[in-house]
Amino acid sequence: MKNIPKLEEPSVTTERLAYSVQESADMLGVNYFSIYRLIQRGKLKVCRALRGKLLVPRAELLKLLETQ
Amino acid sequence: MSNRFDDRRPTALEEQAHAEARQHFAEHLKQFPVSREALERLERNIAKTALAANMAASKPTENVIQTNDGTQWHKSVGLMDNICLYHHPITGGAEYAVVEHFPARGTNEIWNRGWNAEEVLKAFAQEQRQALQIWTEDMTAQVKEFLGEKYPGQDMSRVADSFMHRFTHAVSQQHTQAHEQNHSRSIRI
Repeated sequence: MKNIPKLEEPSVTTERLAYSVQESADMLGVNYFSIYRLIQRGKLKVCRALRGKLLVPRAELLKLLETQ
Repeated sequence: MSNRFDDRRPTALEEQAHAEARQHFAEHLKQFPVSREALERLERNIAKTALAANMAASKPTENVIQTNDGTQWHKSVGLMDNICLYHHPITGGAEYAVVEHFPARGTNEIWNRGWNAEEVLKAFAQEQRQALQIWTEDMTAQVKEFLGEKYPGQDMSRVADSFMHRFTHAVSQQHTQAHEQNHSRSIRI
């Protein structure tokens, strides 16, 4: 029987595009108030989910870490 | 504390939803009053803190940090967790800055700076009020999302309102203990 080469499974990207304030605080190792301070100052740009909940884009978190 | 379920008693489902929301957002319920009380304390003592900072600026301190721009700052007064008022001497006076230290990243963020300690503190306090407002608005949205996902198709608006009342009026454990101590002291008198 002819060997049929196995197809590589497509890589599944599990990285999320945005995180809640709580998750962002955990990732940055700061408390919630610091995250809201950064948002108030415009140092963290946020977007809103459908119900208005704040989401911090992953790119913003990385940018913040890079600029420090 | 009042549950503020208007004039109608909460249904069993509403009570269950409220308990679940309290459990889910327990950390927010704990942290928000601590942050709010720290801000209220700061607002009450701005003049006193500014005076202490002016006095601290007249003598060298050992606690020195460096911010990203290379400036070295001397600690004047602690304000909140990881946030202090600093100064650095300049000709004929001092410049003041509110700086937050991020321990996990080992960095220092300048929030406000200026030549007048009282003005710097006032500007900082005002921005903290706005940050608390953003927190409250975000919390409202998070609670609505949480209840909407847990109880699809159910009207949980009274639960959300009641939860937010609890959230914005909560007092920290520290505050409760201090209040109880004062209360027991007054009973002894």
